[in-house]
Formats: sequence, C-alpha cells, structure tokens
Amino acid sequence: MREVYVAGIGITSFTRLEYPLVEIAAYPGLMALRDSGLKKIDQLYVANMGSGRVNAQTGLASAVVDHLSLTPAGAVTIENGPASGASAIKEGFMAIASGMHDVVMVIGAERMREVNQLEATDFVATLTHPLAEYIYGVTLPSLAGMFARLYMEKYGVTSRHLAMVAVKNHHNAMDNFYAHLHEEITLEGILDSPEASTNNPYVADPLRFYDMCPVSDGGACLILTTAEVMKKINKPMIRIAGIGQATDTHAVHERKDPTDLLAVREAARQSFEMAKVKPQDVDVAELHDAFTILEIAESEEVGFFKKGEGHIALEKGETKIGGKIPINPSGGLKAKGHPVGATGVGQAHEIVLQLRGEAKKRQMQNAKIGFTCNFGGFGNNVVCLTFIKEK
Amino acid sequence: MELNIYAYKCKRCGEIHYPYKTICKKCGENDHNEFEIVPLPKKGKLLTFTILHNPPSDYEVPTISLGIVELEGGQRITGQLNIKNPKIGMNVEGKIEVVRKEAYNKHLGMVFYQA
Repeated sequence: MREVYVAGIGITSFTRLEYPLVEIAAYPGLMALRDSGLKKIDQLYVANMGSGRVNAQTGLASAVVDHLSLTPAGAVTIENGPASGASAIKEGFMAIASGMHDVVMVIGAERMREVNQLEATDFVATLTHPLAEYIYGVTLPSLAGMFARLYMEKYGVTSRHLAMVAVKNHHNAMDNFYAHLHEEITLEGILDSPEASTNNPYVADPLRFYDMCPVSDGGACLILTTAEVMKKINKPMIRIAGIGQATDTHAVHERKDPTDLLAVREAARQSFEMAKVKPQDVDVAELHDAFTILEIAESEEVGFFKKGEGHIALEKGETKIGGKIPINPSGGLKAKGHPVGATGVGQAHEIVLQLRGEAKKRQMQNAKIGFTCNFGGFGNNVVCLTFIKEK
Repeated sequence: MELNIYAYKCKRCGEIHYPYKTICKKCGENDHNEFEIVPLPKKGKLLTFTILHNPPSDYEVPTISLGIVELEGGQRITGQLNIKNPKIGMNVEGKIEVVRKEAYNKHLGMVFYQA
C-alpha cells in the first residue's frame, strides 16, 4: 500500500446557507485546490446523505465535478448516513493507496435547511429500522434519549455532565469562524437558573435542547495524494495513518447491552492498530457529539478513558483545549454544526488544521497525532480515522 | 382474532429474531425459508424510555413516549408507551394499536401499558 497524505483542505461555514447544494460542495473544493496548489484531480468523491430527498437532486458528484470544471475526472457520490464523510475519505484513501489514482478530492456537503426542522429530523429518522423503529415515531433524538437514560442510571452521569459538554463545545466554537453557533453558554443559564427550563426545554427526556446539535448546511473538502506529489507542493506532511470501520445491529433494541457502542470500539481499535499508535498517544480528537451523551460515551469506547469514567475526565477538564486530550476543539457537532453528509470531512478538516498548527486561538500546542470518530445511524456504522504529522 | 407482533425463529438453532433477518445471527447457516413465525410475548419489563417533545410531523400530539421493553423470554422490542410516570424496571403489558397514521396508511404496533 502507498502512503496517503492530505495535500489541501477547504470548508464553508456550517450554518444556514442560502445558495445551492452544488455550490456548497464546490466552494470547499475550490479552497482545497488553492490550498494545495494542484489544478487537476483523478477522482472526486462527494459524501452526501439527503440530496435526493431534501434537495430533489441526485447524482450530486457528477454535478459538482462539472461545476468545478474538473471533467473528465471520475466522480462518485457516497451515501452512508451521517458517516458518509469519513466513508468517502476511506474510499479516497483506498484509491490512492492501491495505486489506482494519484490525486483524489473528497468533498462532504449537505443542505438540510432547505426544509423545516421537523422535516429535517424526519429525513434523518429514515436511518432507523423501518418496521421495528420508524413506525413508532422513533427519531435519532429519541434513540439518544433512551441511550442517555440508561447510561445515566448505570454510570452516574448527570444532566450537569451533559451540560458541561455543551458549555465546553460552545466555548470552543467561539474561536471557530466557520462554526454554526457563536453563543457562549453557562451552566447557570441552561441548568441552574429559574429561566433554565425555558432556555433549555426537554426535547427527548432526559436530553434537552442544548444536548442536541443544530441542523446545519455546510461543506468541507480534503485533497488526498501520494508522497511523490507532496514533494512538489511544499505542504505539511499530514498522513492518514489509520482507518477503521465497523457496524452494529440496525435496530438498537437488539444489542446485548444497549449502553455499549461496539462499532465505535471496533472501528477505533482497527484505526489505532493500523496507525501503530495507542489511544493515549492522541494529542487532539474530534468525536461525533450529535448528542452530548455521545461525546462522553465515545471518549470511553475509543479508549481515551475507562468505561464509565468519561464524565469524570470531563469534570476534571481533561477534554478542554490545553487538557490531557482535547475533544472537539472545533466546537464539535454540538456547536460547529452537523451537516450530516459533510460532518466526517469537517472533522478531518479540523484535525488537519490542528496538526498543521493553523488552528489559531484553539490550537493544541505541538499536536502530532489526531483522531476522528464519525458515527452513523445510532452507532450502526462508524468510521474512525487516525492522522499523523510527519517531519 | 388476537393481534400479535411476530418474530422469526430459526428452525435449526432456535434463535429468535426481531426484526427479521435473511440469515440467522446465531448459526449463520439459514435463509429466510427456514424461519418459523412465532408471536412475541406481550408482558415484560421496561428497560429504558424517553418522552419525545418534538415527535415527527404526522403525529398531531405534543409528546409521544417511546421505550425499549425486555419481554418474557428475553426478546426485546421498541414500542410506544401509554404510561403516566414511566420508570426503568417497571412491569408493562403491550397491546396492538395504531402507532402511526400517514395520509393513506395506518401502521399497527406495540403500545405498552403499566401491568
């Protein structure tokens, strides 16, 4: 296998964007071409979950490759739920590692705000089991609510811990120009004060409004290439060192222990093993905190902390920027935003910034190893990536 | 006729699947012609639940309650709850009722009451 490096990156704001989905995909592609100095690509992968349903547009990659005037390069659209982004990076990695292509562009793009919030939630709910979950009105927030209730009962996690995740990630996003929410929040405002129940109502009890990610539009791009091409373009050598992917049962009730995220555990294990590093070696991580409880649960399952101790590490401040293992310095899905198909590429974008030393105020000093966890469905399809900065 | 939710029992190893699968998850050597259809029990214990304050748009109610129930015999099912103050571990009993109405379609499913 050939080594695979990140040559260029680009991103749009994750927010409500008032321009067509094709442009949401094309702009980060343009930025990444400029960043890398490359003019041509061999292959384009576009990660997107809902264009057919939400934007009435199919064959997105064909539209994007033409919009960027990169024809006749190959183009493929990848739909893999909220894990589409990292899944597309995996495809791009394999295309280069195999020797099939030399320069691959991976874009993630989503435009969910074209429909209202209820329709957007219902679109994401089509991920659930059609007969055993969807017909009951099960949505992703309700699966997260049931997961959180059991997790809190079992491990002593409280609403306060969940709120602390939100406060931390909102604070991190203040320094991220591209984040959806630039809104500093406090425990008092969302939990302790008499107004808290108005500021922060229940959505999927025990989860409240500030435990949920926003519904975002947005796009992000990575250009991947070989060591040989990297020599010509004079960019920091950020290598994709490990990739892991694993799946779990479609219906959540079928899992032996519904508080286990086996696919996260397995995908992370594969990714670290391939990169030949340990979870403890990671300097900075982006985890899939679509719901605050998931940041805590994933930080345990990927191996940063022991099972049931993630919330204790959070309390001690170990997951803050400057802590032992900063989690979601970008603001995470919670505050940076969650344009579903773009999220995995957006996470990788943040890690590349951190490893390059270009993350400005939210920079983790001397970060050499970065990690992302992109979580699809309710944990039924998970992709974990490990990035290493070479000298 | 009594309404039931049916599960798929592997004729070779006896493993019960709900929802159905094409290949048995235990013995791995089956195809779907080799499953026997068996009704799921209706009594069980509430494993976890949530009260959803923004149900999908086809529900014209402010909240719906959802839960995962461990049925007698160990099978699990996701269903709706019609219980005022649900608690983890409480005994529940299911009835088959309409759980979702779409424009031209009604879906039947399990709704749990306090036992």
